[in-house]
Amino acid sequence: MEIRPILSALLRNKTGAILIALQIALTLAIICNSVFIIHDRMVKMARPTGMDADNLFVVDMTAYSPTFNAESAIHDHLDLLRGIPGVVDVSPSQAIPLSGGGWSDGLYNNPEQKGANTGAGVFHMDEHGLNTLGAKVSEGRNFTHDDVQYQNQDTYIHPSIAIVTRALGEKMFPGQDPMGKVFYENDPKPVTIIGVVDTLEGYWPSWEGFERQIIFPTVFTRPNNRYMVRTLPGQRDAVMKVAEQKLGDSHDGDFVRHVRALTWYRDRNNESDHALLVMLTVMSGLILAITALGIVGLASFSVSQRTKQIGTRRALGARRRDIVNYFMTENWLITSIGVTLGSIFAVALNYWLVSLFKVPPISWYYIPVGVLCLWALGLLAVLGPALKAAAIPPAIATRSV
Amino acid sequence: MFVYNLRLALLSMRRNPVLTLLMVSAIAIGIGMSTTCLAIFHVMSGNPIAYKNDQLYAVQLDNWDPAEAYTGPHDMPTQVTYLDATALMKAAKAPHQNVAFVSGLTLQSDNPAIKPYLIVARVTYNDFFPMFDTPFEYGGPWGNDADQGAQQVTVLSEETNEKLFGGANSVGKEVTLDNRRFRVVGVLKKWNPTPKFYDLENGALDDGEDLYIPFSLTQPMELHSFGNNSCWKDTSDHTFQGYLNSECVWLQFWAELPTAAARDDYQQFLNDYVKEQKKAGRFPRPAKTYLSNVDEWLKTNKVVPDEVRVLVALSFMFLAVCMLNTIGLILAKFLRRSGEIGLRRALGASRMALFRQYLVETGVIGLGGGLLGIGVGWIGLFGLRHMLSSDAGRAAHLDWTMVGVGLLLAVVASMLAGIYPAWRVVRIPPALYLKIQ
Amino acid sequence: MLKMENISKIYRTDVVQTHALRDFSLDVKEGEFVAVMGPSGSGKSTFLNIAGLLESFDGGSYTLDGEDVSHLNDDDRSRIRNERIGFIFQGFNLIPDLNVSDNVDVPLRYRGFKAAERARRVQAALETVGLASRMKHVPAQLSGGQQQRVAIARALAGEPRILLADEPTGNLDSLMARQVLDLIEGINESGTTIVMVTHDPELAKRAHRSVHVLDGQVMDLKAVPDTGKRETKGVQA
Repeated sequence: MEIRPILSALLRNKTGAILIALQIALTLAIICNSVFIIHDRMVKMARPTGMDADNLFVVDMTAYSPTFNAESAIHDHLDLLRGIPGVVDVSPSQAIPLSGGGWSDGLYNNPEQKGANTGAGVFHMDEHGLNTLGAKVSEGRNFTHDDVQYQNQDTYIHPSIAIVTRALGEKMFPGQDPMGKVFYENDPKPVTIIGVVDTLEGYWPSWEGFERQIIFPTVFTRPNNRYMVRTLPGQRDAVMKVAEQKLGDSHDGDFVRHVRALTWYRDRNNESDHALLVMLTVMSGLILAITALGIVGLASFSVSQRTKQIGTRRALGARRRDIVNYFMTENWLITSIGVTLGSIFAVALNYWLVSLFKVPPISWYYIPVGVLCLWALGLLAVLGPALKAAAIPPAIATRSV
Repeated sequence: MFVYNLRLALLSMRRNPVLTLLMVSAIAIGIGMSTTCLAIFHVMSGNPIAYKNDQLYAVQLDNWDPAEAYTGPHDMPTQVTYLDATALMKAAKAPHQNVAFVSGLTLQSDNPAIKPYLIVARVTYNDFFPMFDTPFEYGGPWGNDADQGAQQVTVLSEETNEKLFGGANSVGKEVTLDNRRFRVVGVLKKWNPTPKFYDLENGALDDGEDLYIPFSLTQPMELHSFGNNSCWKDTSDHTFQGYLNSECVWLQFWAELPTAAARDDYQQFLNDYVKEQKKAGRFPRPAKTYLSNVDEWLKTNKVVPDEVRVLVALSFMFLAVCMLNTIGLILAKFLRRSGEIGLRRALGASRMALFRQYLVETGVIGLGGGLLGIGVGWIGLFGLRHMLSSDAGRAAHLDWTMVGVGLLLAVVASMLAGIYPAWRVVRIPPALYLKIQ
Repeated sequence: MLKMENISKIYRTDVVQTHALRDFSLDVKEGEFVAVMGPSGSGKSTFLNIAGLLESFDGGSYTLDGEDVSHLNDDDRSRIRNERIGFIFQGFNLIPDLNVSDNVDVPLRYRGFKAAERARRVQAALETVGLASRMKHVPAQLSGGQQQRVAIARALAGEPRILLADEPTGNLDSLMARQVLDLIEGINESGTTIVMVTHDPELAKRAHRSVHVLDGQVMDLKAVPDTGKRETKGVQA
């Protein structure tokens, strides 16, 4: 192929080539990083939650009557909720998983609470908690009714038993079975692990400890009460309406603050991530379109400026496909310079993003895939102008001026 | 001459509508994208009290775990303990100082049509109001006696007053909070500083609180913080009083220090306080205190999330691609018109005059692209607001400053893009274009 | 070598039909140097385009180097142009972004020759026109005459059977024109058939014979070169 003469011609008339090559370089850098960030976040968002998230909803109630008895009210609420058809199970819950807000603790391996501690999310639920969430212990046992303590939040003393997630077990007791082991939480009283759940996500999706949880058999008696309710598949919305109405009618002295699906909290917490992904997707799509249009534009212009030359080549014996080949090759050369530069830009950009922002380092294969895409984009974009060039009649060569 | 150039520019744009449209669109998309990202950044990085920036200081004390520093600005907690807050308030070493936190209370209205609901209250001293320049519609802050005597008085927000009393002057009226009667002493005008600089810990972009009550009610009403609460040590006795005496941090402390001297004095006072507390066995970590003015506080608390910074950076690269595109289009446009250039030169135009003409032309195209781009940006922000719930979406909005910035960016970028093509085309000897057959 | 019989070419627009060539016949023998003359609008450019297979024609037949080229497709025409015909244009038509060597090389690339063969031919062609020392120069660095000589080298490099020249000296001053013409004569003397289109009688005198074209047809001129008297009659030439 006539690469060398095409290259020398390009070198003598650099402007168009530089403009396109730079556009391609920047586009590659942006696309590689954007797609990487998008994919990374989507993978994170698609992790299994360990709970039946689509069929869970959260009830928040607040009492105002001065004679409110929290413990009996909670029992009443639980009975009422469990009695609604379509409800699989109910448990009080101190906080809402996946919502971006909740309770966390630093746990120690030693009673003196010295040294590094392991951060974990803390769930306070009763013996129905795991079933309500849709999780199960894969080792050990669930809490019994007698394990559950009703406590005032101010006078709260943590229980002596807990169920943990496997991720927490791995972090605190690497390579060992966490069953039966003890840990310490803020005081020398040990907490014994009686059960292990394989997966249960916590409160903060962007936290590195998101998979580490301890579940305590505690129900807080307060004026504000929160319940997690699990329904049969597909019945969540209908049951939510019934629950809100029945709870509203039940007690005097308290009122329903809200009844919301767990997915409402989850999606709300993910909102800004979701918005970021949309922005990045739009940006990527637009930049590909703009670069493609830029190539089409400049290639068309270049063809129109070189009409005489194209006619001459045809007169000298070039076939139509030789002309198409010429422009495709020229474009391929420019794109290649662009993607080479762009690969460097992409890595540099990623390096900068990693060092300044919480972006993880890019997986290497994004760059060659990006390069292939841009090659394809360039060739497709230049095809139109190249075909038009091929249609230039050879007789143009003899026209004077 | 400028008006002449302007006219020529418009004529030339009209002569080739497709090319002009392409150029304007390329610029518009680039400006639109940058404007969208910049607008969000602009709102989030704003300082609503910039004029008092060097008078208001957030106070940090390092009462944290000797084994491990707090993960926060300057490796110190961003909030203080009840013990320290009350001690500092009592010492009253600054002309003004304030401690506050957020709590939730059940509100019952005397109006039976309004059902009881949960409100978010800011529990604070009355210094809050003059320090942060809260605008009052009716009445004013409670007096110092209310703070001393834990009186049940309240200042309502504009929204709460609207909901409970239809927006009328409700000073003197009463409302029930957690089964206690409170008297309204003031009503604020609409006040939602963005970001909520005085409490970045608990929702920097959230709405302001529903009402304000005196801090001294914390103990009698056993008010708990509805915001962030962090403890490194277990509370010794499991009572509310024990909680108040603990090392848990859950309060925001601010001091108004109008002069550099006041600031130095207060810094000294804080250092002395910590020394004293250390003697009493508290503050096990190396003595450390910090005073941040509002700008610094906003910065170290990372109000602008990294994602927004990334988007702004990427959007500028995006704009660069659009501008490269534009350079190409402008170059093509000018080169096609080489005959006219040769003619003008033959008729006596200097290179500089033609250069100016073309620069004006690119400026006009830039202005067109900028106007369209603002529109694109507005659509982008509209879309974002739709995707974000009202609180987070507050940042996605276009103010006049951003419109100005967007237009300026468009015109400047276009003129820069036009420099090379204009220079290149003006340089070529006129004879080359005036080929006489 | 070149045999056209009753060629007609019609340009059609929505409004009007122009007969650029009508009943055009020409027979050029191998080794001849023929000048085709005529005023502008006479159809001589059209003739050249058709002769060079740059355009198709509507009626008649055209045999080139023993092959009937009347109804070839675009690819075949390109091949023949490449292998059998050499062009010399009035405006030189060198590619401005390529140096002399690459310019001469262009048709050889389409021929499919290997690098060594191409280099040999380029060298030989440039030596023939006397510009071997300027191989790395770009056209902008050469005078008009030199550019035309490079164009001639380009035409020669493929060892064509016939050279078609379109006002080869039209853009040159008299000194350069003489140089170029000498070159062309020399090429003819070494056996290449040459058909040259021109309106300049001085140029035509250098050819073996002249053919006159007017209104798309070949004219017979019973001309006595010095008297300038002319008598026209439509005749086979």
